Amino acid sequence: MKLIIALLLCCISTFAAAAGDLHLLTWSDYIDPEIPRQFEKLTGTSVKIDVYEDTEAMMAKLQAAGGESQYDLVIVTDHAIPVLAKLGLIQKLDPAKLPNAKNVDARFVKPPYDPEGAYSVAYQWGTVGIIYNKKLAGFTPSWSMLLDPARQPGKFLMLDSMRDTLGAALKLNGASVNADKPDDLKKAMETLIAAKQSEKFAGFSGSPNAARQVAGGQADLAMAYNGDALNAIKEDKSSSCDYVVPAEGSIIWVDTMVITSKAPNPDAAHQFINHILDAKVGAQLSNYIHYATPNAAAVSAIDPQSRNDTRIYPPEDQLKRMEYLKDMADQTSLYDEAWTAIKSR
Amino acid sequence: MPDRLVSHGQLVTRRRLLWRGAATSSPGVLWLLVFLAIPCLLLLALAFASRGSYGQIIWSPTWRNFRKLAGYGVFGWSADYLWILARTVWLALLTTILCILLAYPIAFFVARRSPRWRNFWLVLLMIPFCTNLVIRTYGWQLVFSILSPNLYPGAIAVIIGMVSSNLSFAVLPLYTSVERIDWSIVDAAEDLYASRWSVFRHGILPQTRPGLVVAVIVTFIPALGTFVVPDLLGGSKTMLIGNLIQQQFGASRDFPFGAALSFTLMLATLIALGIYQRRAGEAGLV
Amino acid sequence: MTRNRRLAATTTATGMALLYLPLLAVVVLSLNQSRLGLHWGGFTLNWYARAWKNPAVLHALTNTLLLAAASTAAATVLGTALAIGIARYPWPRWTQATFSLLVHLPVVTPDIIFAAALLVVFRLLREMTGLFNLGMGTMIIAHVTFQIAFVALVVRARLATIEPEIEEAARDLYATNSDVLRKILLPLLAPGIVAGALLAFTLSLDDFVISFFTSGPESATLPIYIFSSLKRGLSPEIHAVSTVIFLVTAILAVAMQLLSRSD
Repeated sequence: MKLIIALLLCCISTFAAAAGDLHLLTWSDYIDPEIPRQFEKLTGTSVKIDVYEDTEAMMAKLQAAGGESQYDLVIVTDHAIPVLAKLGLIQKLDPAKLPNAKNVDARFVKPPYDPEGAYSVAYQWGTVGIIYNKKLAGFTPSWSMLLDPARQPGKFLMLDSMRDTLGAALKLNGASVNADKPDDLKKAMETLIAAKQSEKFAGFSGSPNAARQVAGGQADLAMAYNGDALNAIKEDKSSSCDYVVPAEGSIIWVDTMVITSKAPNPDAAHQFINHILDAKVGAQLSNYIHYATPNAAAVSAIDPQSRNDTRIYPPEDQLKRMEYLKDMADQTSLYDEAWTAIKSR
Repeated sequence: MPDRLVSHGQLVTRRRLLWRGAATSSPGVLWLLVFLAIPCLLLLALAFASRGSYGQIIWSPTWRNFRKLAGYGVFGWSADYLWILARTVWLALLTTILCILLAYPIAFFVARRSPRWRNFWLVLLMIPFCTNLVIRTYGWQLVFSILSPNLYPGAIAVIIGMVSSNLSFAVLPLYTSVERIDWSIVDAAEDLYASRWSVFRHGILPQTRPGLVVAVIVTFIPALGTFVVPDLLGGSKTMLIGNLIQQQFGASRDFPFGAALSFTLMLATLIALGIYQRRAGEAGLV
Repeated sequence: MTRNRRLAATTTATGMALLYLPLLAVVVLSLNQSRLGLHWGGFTLNWYARAWKNPAVLHALTNTLLLAAASTAAATVLGTALAIGIARYPWPRWTQATFSLLVHLPVVTPDIIFAAALLVVFRLLREMTGLFNLGMGTMIIAHVTFQIAFVALVVRARLATIEPEIEEAARDLYATNSDVLRKILLPLLAPGIVAGALLAFTLSLDDFVISFFTSGPESATLPIYIFSSLKRGLSPEIHAVSTVIFLVTAILAVAMQLLSRSD
């Protein structure tokens, strides 16, 4: 009997401690650990961070696992926002609680993926490309390094992310990353399956892990996001790796902060968003994770090394070759089927 | 059966007894019904539902999921999923056969120890069986990367992982039968100059049939539904139906298709059980 | 005959190697100074210290123990009641068969189907009532469900060894129903109940697939934590955590064996 009471008390105390917290769901290795600590000192709310490795897994958590009432704040990529809004999983932000929103660069206010700017605020932006070992013979900045079995120069990894990896194949075959014709998808699917059958293929992976494997020498090249690649290169000082965006073009993405529709603590969520939008915090974030900031007020505080790094802030001619991912609405099933086929064969 | 019966020193009607029985067993039965039987039925119903463009469940009946399983996808027909089924059954069979081949000698070995040492060996067999599967499997990742990096990830690594994880399942039930073998029959067969195989087939096999039946069932069925071992040791090249199901209930968010796959797996399990029960019932043969 | 003996001995050695090699690798690497583990960097207990201080690890450990304790408690009560309710009352044949089927169902069903079915039910219940968010609660429900069957089977086996005549004798001595239950049946059943509870506890600690499917944001157990870490890149802290789990289960296994022997 006493044991049962003790157990119950344990459970209650666990839940009570959780009541005032902020639950954040974000990409792994995507925030400076100091920032939540500073936030806790400022507001007294502690931040509990849960991470994910790819957008589809995040959507599964929100949609199928009841995440929309267990997480407060989620960092989601641009093309997921129309879907989440349609499914009723995110709520509209309260502009009155976000005075720092004026810091955001005009380019990212009322963007195509959130036309009224009602649901999201930009967090970071970046690109998809290849991290590779500079000593590899025969490497050219092209997706064929990963996807053409005749030209693969070494052991490689692909991103475990449906739109990113399919996007790479679509670009290689000359189509848009937002292709909606079954033939384009079929060709991309076949390209990826052929690439996967090669013995140099070392598996699908999340971006931080893939970048670390290349930097650590366990693989020769991999698809990765620019910030993860640069972080890995910095961490492993003995490595001689670099990051490049392929010539055929690639994906440029914007990650945003959204609040779930049944968030237990929406006020804390708004406070946190406002905190990130602060000029100094925004600069601290980008300096730590090596991604590009959408915060105009923070630009002056960014490391000059980062500001002049074309891998973080690509020049105009590269930007022209990159596309934003769009939500494909009903054509999403083409991508889903192609991806399932790629994973199963 | 008479309705009134004398039992428990009182005159108690059978109906009254059954009410009491119902009261005692009903919490357990209700729980199992609500959280086991009904979910399984729901899963069956879901197998015939449709999926919205964003992973919603739409309850309009359709054969789409089974057609997809049979290979009729958006890009034309392909045998992907059928291959996965075939691969799963084949791998499960191979694992079971290898486990049984290893289990018999091990069971004999333990049975021949002195009673004091027998428990020691049984505990030794039990410990990995009780240790978490994730730990045992990623331990194989480490072993392969140190000893023989080429084998991992790959089909051979998966087979070794599966045999290793199911071996104790096979040995323990088999051992309970082997322990009770009447060795005089075996000795008699050998005295009559029977070949080793004959001794086994006619002397040992019939005596160990009960344990063997349990061992096969307890090895084959988990092997059919496994997903941890192929996920950790197979890379992305050895997908089994367990992985496919896990994907549908995870990142793919296609619950109806996942339900259809689960239904198929359950069917395969029941068929395997049925076949085995029937063949085990045939005279002498296993 | 000696050929057979040698075959048996070699096979046993191979079998033991197959069983213990991965565990050995984990233990050895948990003591290895070097991070990557492909070469020996020196002996250290550092990783254990770091794992102990890691809040995620401690949280997962608490979850694992809480889950196992809560589910075992509930399942032992329900399972024992179920076993007594089925075995000690004169049910007609078809009811006995249905009961048997119901109790054997979790044992025969592959984990993943069971987990998927529960996931579907929880999702539908959530859409209808707004409760049943995936988390500790759903995990406990899931574990209790498969544990009931195992407890019931173990207790039923033990019950079969107790002749009903003992209860009759007690009633002849004017024992009431509750007396029979508390003073006769339960004490005699005790080893079976304890064995069932211990089995349920081990099964819960050991479980991965069902927990993986029904867990929520804050309710990761140790196996889930290890699995997610594997996907992100191995850290030797994981080896330390795994070694501890291995040692604890070893002790539990020995305890189970000793208990079943003293019967």
